[in-house]
Order: sequence, then C-alpha cells, then structure tokens
Amino acid sequence: MFEYAPAVALLPFVSFLIALSVGSYMPKKGAFAGIAATGGSLLLSVWAFVTVSGGEVYNEPDLFTWVAAEELSLSFGILIDPLSAMMLIIVSLVAFLVHVFSLGYMNDEGETGLPRYYAELGLFTFSMLAFVYASNLLMAFMFFELVGLCSYLLIGFWFRTESAASAAKKAFLVTRFGDYFFLIGVIGVIATFGTAQFAGQESFPVLAEHALVDGETEAMTTFLGLGEQAWVTLLGMLVLGGVIGKSAQYPLHTWLPDAMEGPTTVSALIHAATMVAAGVYLVARMYGFYALSPTVLTFIAFVGGFTALFAATMGVIKDDIKRVLAYSTISQYGYMMLGLGAGGFVAGSFHLMNHAFFKALLFLGSGSVIVLMHHEQDMWEMGGLKDKAPATYYTFLAGSLALAGIIPFSGFWSKDEILFEALHYGLGNQPLLLGAYAMGLVAVFFTGFYTFRMVFLTFHGDPRSDTARDPHPVGWSVKVPLVVLGLLATFIGFVNMVPVADLLNMDIEFLHQWLDGPEETVTSVHHYEELVHDAAGFEAADIGPYLPGALSLGLALAGAGLAHMLYNVPDPEPHTEKLGNIRTLLKRNYYQDEYQVWIAEGLTLPVARAANKFDRTVVDGAVNGISRVSLDSGSRLKQVQTGVVTNYAALLTFGLVALLVVVGLYGGWF
Amino acid sequence: MALYELPEWAGLAPAVILAATSLVLLLVDSIDPDSSNRPALAGTATTGALLSLAVTGWFLVAGVGDPDGRGVISLFGGQLVVDQTSLLFTFIFASVTTMVTVASYDYLRGHAYQAEYYSLIMLAATGMATMASSASLATVFVSFELLSLSSYALVAYLKDNRGSVEAGLKYFLIGALSSAVLVYGISLVYAVTGSLRLAAVAEAAAGTELVGVLGLGVLMVLGGFAFKTASVPFHFWAPEAYEGAPAPISGFLSSASKAAGFVVAFRVFTVAFPVEQFLDLGVDWVFAVQILAVVTMTLGNFAAATQNEVKRMLAYSSVGHAGYALIGLAAISGPNSDLVLGAGMMHLLVYGFMNTGAFLFIALAEYWDVGRTFEDYYGLASRAPVASLAMTVFMLSLAGLPPFGGFASKYILFMGAVNAGFWWLAAVGAVNSALSLYYYSRVVKALWIEEPSDDVAKVGITEQPIGIYAAIVFAAVVTVALLPAFGPVTETAVSAAGALLP
Repeated sequence: MFEYAPAVALLPFVSFLIALSVGSYMPKKGAFAGIAATGGSLLLSVWAFVTVSGGEVYNEPDLFTWVAAEELSLSFGILIDPLSAMMLIIVSLVAFLVHVFSLGYMNDEGETGLPRYYAELGLFTFSMLAFVYASNLLMAFMFFELVGLCSYLLIGFWFRTESAASAAKKAFLVTRFGDYFFLIGVIGVIATFGTAQFAGQESFPVLAEHALVDGETEAMTTFLGLGEQAWVTLLGMLVLGGVIGKSAQYPLHTWLPDAMEGPTTVSALIHAATMVAAGVYLVARMYGFYALSPTVLTFIAFVGGFTALFAATMGVIKDDIKRVLAYSTISQYGYMMLGLGAGGFVAGSFHLMNHAFFKALLFLGSGSVIVLMHHEQDMWEMGGLKDKAPATYYTFLAGSLALAGIIPFSGFWSKDEILFEALHYGLGNQPLLLGAYAMGLVAVFFTGFYTFRMVFLTFHGDPRSDTARDPHPVGWSVKVPLVVLGLLATFIGFVNMVPVADLLNMDIEFLHQWLDGPEETVTSVHHYEELVHDAAGFEAADIGPYLPGALSLGLALAGAGLAHMLYNVPDPEPHTEKLGNIRTLLKRNYYQDEYQVWIAEGLTLPVARAANKFDRTVVDGAVNGISRVSLDSGSRLKQVQTGVVTNYAALLTFGLVALLVVVGLYGGWF
Repeated sequence: MALYELPEWAGLAPAVILAATSLVLLLVDSIDPDSSNRPALAGTATTGALLSLAVTGWFLVAGVGDPDGRGVISLFGGQLVVDQTSLLFTFIFASVTTMVTVASYDYLRGHAYQAEYYSLIMLAATGMATMASSASLATVFVSFELLSLSSYALVAYLKDNRGSVEAGLKYFLIGALSSAVLVYGISLVYAVTGSLRLAAVAEAAAGTELVGVLGLGVLMVLGGFAFKTASVPFHFWAPEAYEGAPAPISGFLSSASKAAGFVVAFRVFTVAFPVEQFLDLGVDWVFAVQILAVVTMTLGNFAAATQNEVKRMLAYSSVGHAGYALIGLAAISGPNSDLVLGAGMMHLLVYGFMNTGAFLFIALAEYWDVGRTFEDYYGLASRAPVASLAMTVFMLSLAGLPPFGGFASKYILFMGAVNAGFWWLAAVGAVNSALSLYYYSRVVKALWIEEPSDDVAKVGITEQPIGIYAAIVFAAVVTVALLPAFGPVTETAVSAAGALLP
C-alpha cells in the first residue's frame, strides 16, 4: 500500500492546482475537486491505518534527496507509524468534512473568490498532511511554514476588510516569531547529530538517547561549551519556540483569537486539525527527544497548565461565539501540552484526537449558527435556537459536553487522563508538576462555565432578536458533517477509558495499544515511558484514577451548573458585568496585546531602524565601495590607453625592462 | 593504413591548402584587381578554409601526430613538426577562418580590393598553421612575421576609414618593436646555445654558464609572444586594432591570431625551455608568466568594465582572456601540468568560437549601422531575436556560465590550476570572472531588457545578411554543443599537452 503514500498529500495539492487554474469554470467553483481529493486522502489514510495495524510501519527517510554532501544529506521522506497514521485520518477527515460544509457555508451564501478559497484550502490540507508524515525535522519545518503561510492566506480571505488583513498579518508574524527559534533548532539538530530523521536507529532522538543514556557522547557534537544534557535541553527549547507559536501557547497565543476573522470553516480547520494542531503534534512526533530532558518536559507542562487556565478565564466574558471557542482552543491545547509535558504521551495524543473532532464540531456548529443568524456572531443577539435548529443544537451540545469534560463524552476521558498523569508524577518526585496540575484542575471549572454559558446564551431562553426568531434554514451539507462529528465527539473517547479499564481490570486501552505499535520501536509508547522514567527520572506515585477523575468531573459539573443557574433562564442578564475591574482585565485579555505591541514598537522598531542604518551605511557602503573602486581603477587603467603610439612603445619597453629586472633579481642573474 | 602511403610532408596539408588558396586568390587579384564577384571570392576562400578544416579534422580522427596512433611527423630536419598540438590549433585557425570568410561575404559589400582581402586572410591563416607546426626558432619567427604582416594590412583594410588606417599603423609600429624584441631574444638564445631547433636548444642550454644572457633571451622571446597574444604590457595595440579593424578581422585577430601566439608560446616554452631544467639554471620564466597572467587578467577585465563601446569592451575582454589562457603556462611547474596546459588549449578552442561569434555580431551591427555604444544596442533583441539570442550565448559563455562551452573550459582551467597547487591563480581568475559577468551582462541587458532607442527602430533589419547570420549561428551552436562534447576535446587536448611536456 505504501507506494501510494505520497498520494495522501499530493491529492489535495492537485485539487489546489485545479481550483487555482480552472476553479472558476467548475460547478461550485472547485469545491468538488477539493471534496474528491480530501475524500481520496481519507480513504488512503484509512488504508494506511489498516496496513499499519497489520503490523507494518513505513519509514522511508530518503524518497527524494535534494542536497547530498559527504557529511550530510537533506531529503524528503515519509514516516507512517501509528501516530502519524492516526493523525493522517484526523486531518483528512476534518478537511473532508470542512470541504463539504463549505458547500453550505461559502457557496450557498454567495461568497466571491471561491476558487481562491478552495485552492488555498487544498494547499492547506496538502501542507498539513505532508507535515504529518514528514520523516525528518527539516521537511517538517518546511511544511510547518507552508501551513503557516496557508493560514495567513485563509485568515485574510476577506482581505478587503481591514480587520481580516490585520489579523492575517498578526497570525503570520506572531507564529513566525516562534519559528525563528524553531529554525535555529533545526539547524542545531542537524549540526549536532548530522541527521534530522525522526525514526529509525539513525534518527536524532535515538542518537541523543545513546549520548545521554548510554554515554556514547561521540554520537553528537555540542557547541557553546555546553554539556550533552544542557545542549539537548537547549535544542528542545528552541524547537519548542515554533510549537508555542503554532499551538498558541502563552505568550504567543495572541494571534489565535484574532484569527476568527477568517471564514468559520477555516477556523474549524485551523483549530481542529491543522495549524494549531501542528505544534502539539510536533512535540509528540519527537517525543523521544523531549523525554530525555526533564527540564523541557516540566517547562512544557507548566506552560501548558498555565495557558489552559489563563485562556479559560478569558473565555468566560467573551460575547462573540467564535471568540469563546478561540479561547477554548488555546486552553485545550494547553491541556495537551500539560499532558505531554507530564510524561503522558498517550494522554496528550488522545486529547489531540478528541479535541480535533469536538472542536471541529463546535466550529462547524457555530458556523451553522452564524448561517442561521444571518452572520450575527454576538451571543446576546441569539437565544432560543434550540427548537428551530435541532440538528445544530444536539450536535453542538455533544461537542460542548465533550469540551467541558462531562462523562461519558470524549473530552472527559482524555482530560482526565492528562490530569491524572500530571498528578501521579507530581506526587511521585516532580512537585513542580503539581503546580501545573493545579492550574489545569482550576481551568476545568472555568471550561465548564464558559462552555455552557455559550450553549445557554445561544440556544436556550427566548430569542433576543428578530433574526433569532426567524433563522435562516441550513441545508444537508451543513448537517451531515455536524452529525458525523457529533457521533465522533460522543463516542471516540471510548477507545481509551483508563478508569474503566482499571475498574474492570480489562485490557481496553485501545489507543495505548495502538500507539505502542505492532512491535516495539523507538517511537513506541513503551519506549517513551521507559525514557520518561529512566532518562528524565520521572517517578509515579501509586494512586488510583477514581478520585482525581471524580474531582475534575465535579468541577466541570460545578462550572456547568453555575452557568445553568445564571444563564439558563428565559431572559439572561449579562452577569459578568458585575465583575468590575476583573472584567476589564479579562476583556483586555490581560493586556497581552498591549505589551506585545509595546515590544514591537518600542523595542523592535528602534533595533530594526538601527540595523537598517547599519545595512545602508556599512554593508551597502562596503559593497558599493568595492564596485566603485573597481570601476574607478578601471577608468584609471583606461587612461593609460592614451592613443599616442609613442607612449605605448615607451610603456611596452618599460614593462619589459621591469619584468627583466624583477625576474632577473629573483633568479639571481646579476 | 592508407595515410602511410602519403608522403610525410602531406602532414602539412592543412597549411599547404591555406597557402594554395591564398595564391589562387592572389592570382585572381593580379588578373582582375577590381573584381567584386563576391560569391566567387568568398566562396574560394571559404572552400580553402573548409578543406583545410576537413583535412585537419580527418588527421585528428585518424590519429596523425598521436604518439600512440600514427606518430609525430617531423619534417625538414626538425624545422616543422605535425603533432596533436599543431593539428588541434590548426583546427581552431581553420574554423575561425571559415567563419570569418563566410561573414565577410556580406561585410565586404561595396568595398574594393576584395580578392586582396581574402588573400591576406588566407596568408595569415597559413602563417598561423605554420606557427603551430614550427619546431625551430627560425620557423617560429618567419611564420610569426607572415601572420603579423598580413594582419597589419588587414587591420588597415578600410582605407577610407581613419580609425582603420590609424589602428593599422599603430599595430604595425608596436608590432615592429615587438618583433625586434623577439628576434633579439632569439639571437641571445642562439648565442648561448648555438642552436635554433627547439629540442636542441633545451639540450644545449643544460649546464650553460651564461645564465643571465640566456635569461634575457628567454624573457625577450616571451615578450614577443606576449605581443601576439595581446598580454600586458604588450597589449597596447589590441584595443585600438580591434576597434579600428573591420569587425570580422577583429574576431579573426582576437581569436585565431591570439591562439597562434599561444601555440608557439606553449611549444617553445615546453620544448625549448623545459621548466625544471630552467628552474635549476635559475631562469624562472614561470614566475614571469605568472606575473603576466595576473596583470593581464586583472587589467583586461578592469578596463573592459568601464567601456562605453561594445567593440572596445570586447577588445579588453579579449586581453582578459589572454590572461586566463596564460594560466596554462603559469601553473605548469606544479603536478598535473598536462591537465592545466591542456585546459589552456581547450579554453582557446572554445574561445575561438565564442569570441569570433561575438565579434561577428558586432559586424552585423556595423552592417546595419546600429552604432557602437551600449545605448545603441538597446532593444535590439526585438528586431533581431536570433542574432541577439546567439550574442547572449556568447556573452554568457565568455563570462563562464553554464550551460555553455566557456563554463567547461574555464572550470577545467581553474580546477587544473588548483590541482597543480596554484590556487591563488585560480582565485584571481575567479574574481576576474565575477567582474567580467558585470560587463557581459550589460550587453545582454541592453539587448533584451532596455527599451529600444530611436536608432534601433530605424535599422533596416529587413535586410538579413545570410553570411553573417550563418557564421553567428554556427558559432553559437558550437559554443553550446562544446559542453556535451567536452569529453573527446579534453582527451585530445590533454594528450597533446602531455606530448609537449618532457
């Protein structure tokens, strides 16, 4: 099967080309090309998934070599192991559903520029799929950047509105800031290990492991006089820069809420399966490297826990339905980082999968609400949509229950597992993780609150505007994706029910087994767990999963209950206005934008000006100087050619005599 | 084995054919001095050149002069020799001569004394071919003068044109001085060694006590050759002569005549003044050649960069290329000297085509009265795309860019220099090549990118001179084709160089 693997990514690329070239002549402006392509990718991904589950792992690191030198070669390759096979399905499924949904959201709403939209969507899907099965860090970086470019294009799809153009720019610049570190990290990895491969015995995580665990320090070259451990930590932190930017972790999360300016379908794709997921996926992809450094792991966990809480509090007071979802995305990716950082590779990947489905569902559901509401996004203008759009309501509710982490919806299982991982290593020998755990736990309450505040304001109570009384109907292309995702959000969590497995003492942790792979390799969970234990020195406390699970469930229910009390009334009051100063602080998003703007204008701009001056005077001066000296000396030489033949004769004679004297003296003739 | 049935002197057939053609044309000239039967005259000259080219090619393929093939032919008591070097260079001369005579068919329209012109070209070509075969200082000098005297007359051929006449006179005066230097140098060498045959000179020079006199002689001989190759400081005639002469003659002199200077230099300095023996004596002529190479490259390229007229720019660039070819001799004292000397020969071969082509493009522009400066060439590509494309090929190839022959020859030359341990020579060459890209690309930019000036719009391009076009296109095709065909060329050149070296 694997000889068809390149087609998984290339099909959407073909649809990109088709939509770009002949999209405007096609029915539905290129939508069908995109649907067919992503559908094809989905089928191939499923096939790859089945093949992998049959015990084959595809690691072809050298499909195409584009730089071959003696010491090092850079190549494109494909790695399909359990993790990437799972992610391929998630990405292609969400992309497929988003394409279908776009028929109702974009085509039926009479948007212009649709060929461009479908072309960019195709390119986006292509970049993400290629990123997912990239076999080395450099290739991953290139497609990571392409993903960034595509989100820039799509967020700015309505580029004529100023806010969309500026949001696109912001998303691009902020993530680029993180990517600088990533790029340095990539170069550092290649310089250190001579390879950037992810998997196999010659891969950089394995070489690093040899150096740190087995003491074979000749496997790597460190720089700056740092020891092996410190150097691996530094490299991990550098690559993490890109992750923090892409996955919108504190302090580079500011681009994500603004990115709501793009079409809602794009938001669904960005938040669920592509752009933002890329960051966390990268951590999971090179987990064997991160697991070697307890410092980086703890840092990841802490950033994750903090972001989870921080973003959840801001979500509490937002009135725009998409903004609430945006902050929930930041918060949920915080959980994934917390899980990965706390040594829970399975927990983090599990939440990545669950979140992809329920967040795509919520975004598409909000897209459906926006269609219902004639492009009104303020929740205070809605209300009472429950009866008028039952399909949207029930699927949205399923997604909300998953997001809030209510049993038995998918989000509960993964979030519970993440918190459990943090707690049991925290009680073991990593007390710092307890802080991260505490923040994650508090955030559960806020998550429950803002999620149900959103649900109640949107769907319950009396309609608060004319459009809410008489909503625009939505078609099958909107409903079908919602139903598919609703089912997934409800049931997908059953693949890894840790407390139930523990309770029944049954072997039903299917995701764990899946990620462990058919046989133990360097990317198996088993291997990662060993590394977390041996190399990073994490030790788990012996606690049962029930009490922590009950605690987080209780907090989620408490949050939801509070929302129920305050907002599930026929005519809800804007209670958050009573928060006073705190509300202002939250409304201004903790002044994160303000200080970043200050950094950009007060600090970066003067430095850039100085650099510009240096470039213009010193660098350009030197370059111009060289060319001026060349041309000047040329002009001088030209003047030797006087046109007077006696001068020539004289110069010729002098030249010969000079040559004779020099060579004669040198040769010692005289 | 048919060739062995020919007498040995038949090895000189290429030169003999050229000489005979010249005599036929001279005969025509004496019977009908005012003949303007252009097809007949140009046809005769071209036929002679082509025949010579064909015979040379045949000899090369048949292995004449190849020590492993049919063997080196030595004639007239060792005065002349036919080996791979002489055949390779005769191949260059005959090719350039063919292109020049074909192009002259159009260029000479309306000019008098055409038979004389072609006859002089064939005489000059004869001189070149004899230079390539000369194995004694006497034949070197005689053939050298045969070439020089014909060239002076050719440069001054446009008798009504002040520039042409002035250039001819200057060329003659500088040439007379240089010939005097050369012949004086030969006399000094003879004084020390008592012999004119190159091999005998080397034998007799061993263990001589008159090192100073010998050294003076060697350097003065070098000076004479530097005149022919237009190397600094004997180059002063070149910009003026190339600019004043009819453009086909400029191409002829700057490609073929320069190569002729190099072939005698290569032969005399490797056979008569072997490096190691002369280093032991204390006559370090390699050092002198290194100085000449660096100064020539640098001065030629720097001066070319500031020219406003395309033809004069090409004249200086031709000086610069003499510097590159000199690397072939300058890096000879290191290891792999056969490779670097062969690379010098290859560069001259490629140069013969690309540089002649460039000058023929100038001839085309002169034919159309386009003007001389870069500005006059603005937008010419829109009017004459084929010729402009060919000119672009020549320029990029001269600059040494792939995928043209000039890239391969320059690359092998610099690589050879590095292999021989003279990385600094290669570095100077590379820096100069980078500079040369500046002024070569100016031409390309003028042709394709700049807006056409009024003059170009007026050019009567309705008239397409077939001869010039054919020669230009041929040169362009060969310039491109030489890159894939570089394998056999390298083989022949390196083998020829290896046979020269002791």
